Amino acid sequence: MTVTTAAPALALSGVSKRFDGFPALDGAHFSVREGEVHALLGENGAGKSSLMNVAAGLYLPDEGEVRVDGVVRRFSGPLEAAACRIGMVHQHYKLVRALSVAENVMLAAMAVESQSAAGDRSADKVGTTASRAALRTSYGSRLARIRALIDDHAARLGFSIDHRRAVHTLSVAEQQRVEILKALVTGARILILDEPTAVLTDEEATRLLQTMRTLAAAGAAVVLVTHRLRDVREHADRVTVMRAGRTVAECDPRATSTAELTELIVGAAAPAVTRKAAAPGVARLAIRNLTCRRHDGFEVLANLSLKVRSGEIYGVAGVGGNGQTELVEALLGIEPPVSGEVIIDGVGDIAMASPAARQSIGVAAIPADRYRLALAGTLPIADNYGVTRVASGAYGSVLWVDFRRMRQEAAAGVREFDVQGVRRIEQPAGLLSGGNAQKLVIAREFASAPWLVVAHSPSRGLDVRACADVQRRLIDAREAGAAVLLVSEDLEEVLLLADRIGVMSRGRLVAEFDAPVDRQRIGQAMVDHA
Amino acid sequence: MRSLRRGRPVVAARRRMSAAFDAAVTTVAILAGLALSAFILVVAGVPAEELANEFIVNTLTDADNLRAVLAQAAPLAFVGVGAALAFRVRFWNLGLEGQMIAGSVAATAIALADVGPPVWRLFLMLVAAMAAGMAWALVPALLKLRLGVNEVISSLLLNYVALNFLLHLLYGSWKDPVDAFPHSPAFDPFERLPDLGWGLNAALPLVGAAAVFAAWLLGRSRAGFYMRFVHANPSVALAKGLPVAALVLTAVLLSGGYAALAGVCLSVGQEGRLTQAFFAGYGFSGILIAFLARNNALAAVVVAFLVAVLFVSGQSLQVFYQIPFAMVRLIEAIVIISAAASEFFLRYQVRWLR
Repeated sequence: MTVTTAAPALALSGVSKRFDGFPALDGAHFSVREGEVHALLGENGAGKSSLMNVAAGLYLPDEGEVRVDGVVRRFSGPLEAAACRIGMVHQHYKLVRALSVAENVMLAAMAVESQSAAGDRSADKVGTTASRAALRTSYGSRLARIRALIDDHAARLGFSIDHRRAVHTLSVAEQQRVEILKALVTGARILILDEPTAVLTDEEATRLLQTMRTLAAAGAAVVLVTHRLRDVREHADRVTVMRAGRTVAECDPRATSTAELTELIVGAAAPAVTRKAAAPGVARLAIRNLTCRRHDGFEVLANLSLKVRSGEIYGVAGVGGNGQTELVEALLGIEPPVSGEVIIDGVGDIAMASPAARQSIGVAAIPADRYRLALAGTLPIADNYGVTRVASGAYGSVLWVDFRRMRQEAAAGVREFDVQGVRRIEQPAGLLSGGNAQKLVIAREFASAPWLVVAHSPSRGLDVRACADVQRRLIDAREAGAAVLLVSEDLEEVLLLADRIGVMSRGRLVAEFDAPVDRQRIGQAMVDHA
Repeated sequence: MRSLRRGRPVVAARRRMSAAFDAAVTTVAILAGLALSAFILVVAGVPAEELANEFIVNTLTDADNLRAVLAQAAPLAFVGVGAALAFRVRFWNLGLEGQMIAGSVAATAIALADVGPPVWRLFLMLVAAMAAGMAWALVPALLKLRLGVNEVISSLLLNYVALNFLLHLLYGSWKDPVDAFPHSPAFDPFERLPDLGWGLNAALPLVGAAAVFAAWLLGRSRAGFYMRFVHANPSVALAKGLPVAALVLTAVLLSGGYAALAGVCLSVGQEGRLTQAFFAGYGFSGILIAFLARNNALAAVVVAFLVAVLFVSGQSLQVFYQIPFAMVRLIEAIVIISAAASEFFLRYQVRWLR
């Protein structure tokens, strides 16, 4: 292998990747050199993670090429990428919780070693015996070697970590360090971190980014996938901005203003939508000082307050992972808050009420994670449609469920809400495409005129037509007098639909605007406080 | 990349499956399991040409054998339907035998203490048995719902608690004073399940009614409709505000009650006294029946009948060919492993990639 100093450590060009016809990447390019920290910036769904998953061998691109040190590579799995010394720390850590730190690292190291050995065998015969010998050493001596390597790397990076501790006893920040050590011990020279600061406190984030600087100074190529402008401005040497699956710019973060970067991220202004002026009435939903904590004590929602009135859509904008999921789950009663109130007009405070106790209130819920919170994929469409109305006696008594009527009403609802791909009303809901499954959820939740709607990223992953349909339904609900809380990571959608917009960052509502609002100001609030 | 050139099997998740395909795969799997069992029986010394005779012709055409099959089917159907009830809410009730013991101990206590007038005695015994079986099932159910304790372990280990309590009674205060054997004194005739003629006792109509009740509960009632969601996707059931804990408790308590009645069929119905091992093996059979019946109450009755055929044939093999009865358990195990393994082909398709 000839290494030309001019070639970047990692270069991706013309990369396209489609999922079920939806283009996640559309001719994107990116390159990182040795010795630099390179930020990859963009909104949720801009394609940052997808592009890096291509680099790390998780996705095979439909088009385009990956070059490592100038040599074209085609990875059919993450181990092949690791053998090329590319390591990725994913947003959701890939650790075996029951095993110790050292065992986790060894597990990764063994896999990479055997992969390298396989590669050597096909490349030349000389390396084979050495690699095989390395594989044959005993468990004890390997573990000892891994421990020494961990301690060595940890000391160099200033991590204090006990390699004997089981991973499940570690904090989120410590687990992240294990992931980084795992990559380094397996020989990674090109280190990709996907949203590494999203789950960390400010101090932890600063320390991590300083560590990455140290690594780069020692010759590594570090890729920082992030949405936080502050990380980028303070710690990156170069920045590549992605939007809608394309690379839109590559620049020096110190020579680019925040406003310019924000514009690159969120794009140009969207066309204004004409619709009836809001005629807000009473506050149907009032959230006061809502605070939620993760199991390890991290505050995912901090003192959040907002009001949604009848006849308006309140949009919560913000980059994903800033407490939106927790807000929606607290509102639906899935994860009770630590403190605060959720006051429903005419009902009272329901912050601590279980989902069962909330059933009679009649909140139309459109959660982001359909198959965790809304639909049972293995059950028929009719059952999924009927489940919320069975309790009211709409489909027979406690003793005898009238399945025929449920099927008839489900068929009518499915027709009315234009759910496509329903051959039989008894077919499992899981066979519907994403957009149609979402329409089924809306058909069910809007079966009786909605009064209060809680929708989380309702059009995520949907094609243009389905997306427009879903958004139309929300506007219809608003015009019929419902109070709609729209939590969305898609700024476009919030700008299009909302009458008022709150911006969430790190579990707080950091700004509130009345529509129409300048997207730049929202974009700034989204990234500045992050 | 030499391995790529040679080709390799690739396993991919199956996107769509039809009920017909499901039934076909399961049938093939069960037949494969039976074929393997037949092979083992032949190796063990049963002449190959006699197999069909022993298993089908003799058991189903001979009146005595058919009576034995029906008598055997009743407790099997009770445990099978009981297991299916619990499985419908994703509660792996491995404590069926413990619940059988608890039920029979309670029924025996009523009989030995002569509670109530003789006309009501049997009814009281049945009620006590169900209550005790439910109580025994309540322990792992509450442990799971309140503390998150895995019911596989708690319900299984409670079997040993029940067994040792049973032995304590049979070797102690309940030892039969007549023959000094470690079993309870015989029940009075009015304390036994009444005969319906043709050598069959009241267990059969009882289990029929119980199965119909379970089929109605699971298939037609609102609770059963909700249980589908608890089974298919517990997090959705919770998010949609279904009373998940109450549904789990209902199904598990009924499961314990049905298991207790299975025990009663054996102790009060067949043996006429409380013995040391009346329950042995029924827990496993119950799981097998529920599994093969896909947790359908009426299908469980049919499967229970087939397992009873296997049991009775096993007994005759024991007599005629000195095949140990453990062979029946082995056949059961082979069939259940075959059926379980076939799930792989339902969920995935295997293709050869070059």
